[in-house]
Amino acid sequence: MKKEKNTYRARINWRRELRLLPGYIIVLLWLAFTVVMLGWIIGASLSTSRDIYQGQIFKFATGFHWENYVTAWNTQNVSVFFGNSLLYSVVSCVGVLAISAPAAYVLSRWKFTGGKALRIGLVIAMSVPVIMVIMPIYSLSVQWGIKGRILLMVLYILLRVPYTTIYLLDFFSTLSRAYEEAAYLDGCSAPKTFLKIMLPLVQPAIVTVTIFNFMSVWNEFFMALIFTSNESMAPVGVGLLNIINAMKQTGQMGGMFAAVIIVFLPTFLLYIFLSEKIISGVTGGGVKG
Amino acid sequence: MKKNKAMIFWFSLPAVLSLLIMFVYPVCRTVLMSFFQVESVTATMADWSFYGLGNYLKIFKSASFLTSMRNMLLIWFVGGIITLALAMLMSVVVTSGIRGKKFFRAVIYLPNIISAVALATMWIQYIFNYDYGLLNEIVQLFGGEKIKWLGTDLKFWAMTGSFVFGSVGYYMLIYISGIEGIPQDLYEAATIDGAGKVSQFTRITLPLLKGVIKTSLTFWSINTTTFFLWTKMFSPIDTESSTIVPVIYLYDMVFGGKGITQRDAGAGAAVGVVLTLIIIAVYLVTEWLFKGNDLEY
Amino acid sequence: MKMKKLMALLLAAVMVLAMLAGCSSDGGNETKAPETDPPAESKTGTEESKAPEGGDKKYEGVELTMWSMWSTGEPQANVISEAAAAFEAETGAKVNIEFKGRDVNKVLSASLEAKEKIDIIEDDYQRIANTYPNILDLTDMAKAVNYDSWSYACLNNQVIEWVGHLNSIVEQPQIGGFFYDKTAFENAQVTSAPATWAEFLDACQKIKDSGVGPIAQDDAYCDFAFYHTLVRYLGEEKIAELDKNGGWSGTKAEQAAQDIIDLINKGYFVDGAPDAYPASQNKIGFGLAAMVICGNYVTAEVDGNTDTQVNWGFCNYPAVDGGADNSSVYGGANSLAITEYSENAQAAFDFIIFLTTGEWDQKMATEAKQIPADTRNKAYPSLEGSVEALQAAEKPMTWCAGLHENADLKDTIKSMCVELFEGKYADGAAFCAALDALYK
Repeated sequence: MKKEKNTYRARINWRRELRLLPGYIIVLLWLAFTVVMLGWIIGASLSTSRDIYQGQIFKFATGFHWENYVTAWNTQNVSVFFGNSLLYSVVSCVGVLAISAPAAYVLSRWKFTGGKALRIGLVIAMSVPVIMVIMPIYSLSVQWGIKGRILLMVLYILLRVPYTTIYLLDFFSTLSRAYEEAAYLDGCSAPKTFLKIMLPLVQPAIVTVTIFNFMSVWNEFFMALIFTSNESMAPVGVGLLNIINAMKQTGQMGGMFAAVIIVFLPTFLLYIFLSEKIISGVTGGGVKG
Repeated sequence: MKKNKAMIFWFSLPAVLSLLIMFVYPVCRTVLMSFFQVESVTATMADWSFYGLGNYLKIFKSASFLTSMRNMLLIWFVGGIITLALAMLMSVVVTSGIRGKKFFRAVIYLPNIISAVALATMWIQYIFNYDYGLLNEIVQLFGGEKIKWLGTDLKFWAMTGSFVFGSVGYYMLIYISGIEGIPQDLYEAATIDGAGKVSQFTRITLPLLKGVIKTSLTFWSINTTTFFLWTKMFSPIDTESSTIVPVIYLYDMVFGGKGITQRDAGAGAAVGVVLTLIIIAVYLVTEWLFKGNDLEY
Repeated sequence: MKMKKLMALLLAAVMVLAMLAGCSSDGGNETKAPETDPPAESKTGTEESKAPEGGDKKYEGVELTMWSMWSTGEPQANVISEAAAAFEAETGAKVNIEFKGRDVNKVLSASLEAKEKIDIIEDDYQRIANTYPNILDLTDMAKAVNYDSWSYACLNNQVIEWVGHLNSIVEQPQIGGFFYDKTAFENAQVTSAPATWAEFLDACQKIKDSGVGPIAQDDAYCDFAFYHTLVRYLGEEKIAELDKNGGWSGTKAEQAAQDIIDLINKGYFVDGAPDAYPASQNKIGFGLAAMVICGNYVTAEVDGNTDTQVNWGFCNYPAVDGGADNSSVYGGANSLAITEYSENAQAAFDFIIFLTTGEWDQKMATEAKQIPADTRNKAYPSLEGSVEALQAAEKPMTWCAGLHENADLKDTIKSMCVELFEGKYADGAAFCAALDALYK
């Protein structure tokens, strides 16, 4: 960290910078586009439908319509959608760790009957497209009468198990067995060794994989659309789609974009604070997969 | 270390069960279902009637399905080339030593954290708008005629383009992590030998990124086979042939669409199987293409 | 280390938030209704049957579940919720409404098959008639309240033609055709709504001369617009037959397509049409266009989107020379139906009637700016005359059903209709030849 900061403070080498000019132009163009895009959404959220549909949002001829935010919050279930997404993401992240971490640990430590099959199964499961599993799961859930939030959370957990297990497995394999031997000599039981010693040791991997899982669940749309039978259970993506459909017909485009911003803002703040972590989570998680 | 059988059993049991419930059983059932005539997705097996390859014949005779496959392949191929090339370009630029590297990296990744529903709405209502949209403003600035971005000719490409914009950041991150794994002294040596930036890229970066590129190809393939939301956003009222993709076709088939009174879960299952086979094929081909020459450094 | 603490803190905050969210928003939790049978002597309950004050109300303890096609926050949803509260106060029956949004049609079939706990469903009446299983026959209940006396005969007959009996009660009737801005017509010296194709062309020219785009057209409704022309020339049955087997060339479909192409060549579509929904129809609100083919909800959409009050008028699609069907008008409805396995069918039916007649129906028509289900009520001012038009209709034109006959070509034909309005085809014959090419 420190080293990099020092290089930033170094005196500007204009010749070097000039050589990088094409690069700057490319990323600055991209940046400009992103800013325009975000700016437009923010502008739209403060305008009336009339302004939006006439393409005059940056003029604010009728002033800033902050009431859009009030409307969005009150008449639409934005807070509910947001709460749902949070609930699904957090519960799935915790749930999947509870299933995956122990399995990854034993798989990395011992050879046992079925162990190899399990490992191969997990790897294959990782690339099974969701549409292959959705139909039987749907009919099972109807038969067993499981529905709503519980169903969706269970599905998300199960869906993330293969990836998470394989990811953690790699990390457990890198740990030296000396830890366990020492613990064993101290009279620590194997499960306790796992909980107290091994789990803390793979903490960085757990953080990375959790961020990755969190984002996957947060952004999931297809299953949420099919399995949330009720608006009050909808996560952000599906909820926003409902809002858009409803507001298009009632002419509340301003309110719709206000809802977009309300949903976007917390994620964005989290992203600003944690972008390093999130990015390393995605790359770590992504490349491994 | 002693083997603790009870512990192994209890520790791996939940994972085994998840695998069975979430993957083994559903995949087997879907594959089986694709050979039967099944109307409702919730029908019990007793109501299935054997259909042989009937479902496959049906979908491969269906104009909608064939269009959806063509659209998907176009997204995969054209969209893939653009996305991965842009991602590569961005990753090279971001790691080239420019100031504010972390900032730009975060900005380019940003679309990934905005809800795609919001992003698509912005593209449709603003960027592609005929009267006041950003693109047409730019076109007019250069003295061009306004273009119907969302007309039948361009709608598909408009959709693909906005999807690409949202995807670049993710693949860029993958490439950046790959590039950062390449030892810096290789470049220094090359610079001393007088190699330019371009030849450094083609001679050093690309060959050493083979593994990462393979990964990104696999991801891209899986992503395009599950393409769904953007189509739904770009054809909000009814499915249209210009934007239809297989998952939408499957969704309409299995759960019923506006003009579809006859549902067909069996055909839906067949679509699922076909997509899975495609993923497997793409995977095998990339494995074979990149076989054995993972360079060590 | 600092990072770690921050993470821990954030995670904790997230957890707390999640728990709060979990508590505050459990609207979806369904508590099982106590199993009470409806009273044996269930009087036919219309809105007139006032329950006795206090004490034992008619449906005390009854719980109904309704799946609605609307989303929270929409005016329709608000009226339904309020009506449900009023119904509970009056009869004691609690109606739990689950707002599912437009995609309700994707989940209904499977849910009804699985006999999920639903008493009342709300969706398009054609889908209720033709798609969903386990829907109750309402003939007797409807007869008992004399439903025919205030409903639209053409819609009821249509349901009976599809199903063989009445299985849904109209909640939000719709009518389709040209919706126009009366002021724009007046400014262009168009004094009466065009009834024939010649009059229509004349009106378009006058409007164009007055500096306004005559016709607005959005991509989403291109098939619906073209369907009108087709129906005029061929009639719905013929279209269905052609759609199934092909053979468009040489029929009057060529003339129908040619009519559209002529409109384009004469410049009768507003600039940008066919545009991405709802950009083109909004132009009526901005005073840039004069008319649009759509369902009646277009009036509410345009007024809302553009924050104006257009002086709306309605006219049927003009008659064409030598047409096979020169009078039919699009009619449809969002309707309510009851599940066959509902344990409280009579209570459910009473709620449906409560909602679709009298005070609440009027409220629905006013707040959602649409046509009342109860013909004794008044339509929203901008839809004046629509009740009478729908009452007068003999057999409603469907929503492009003829072009949906061949489910497999549906999407392609829809896109081709957009291309037709984009001016991609040289003439009507070329369009029909392209259609026929699909059947090879």
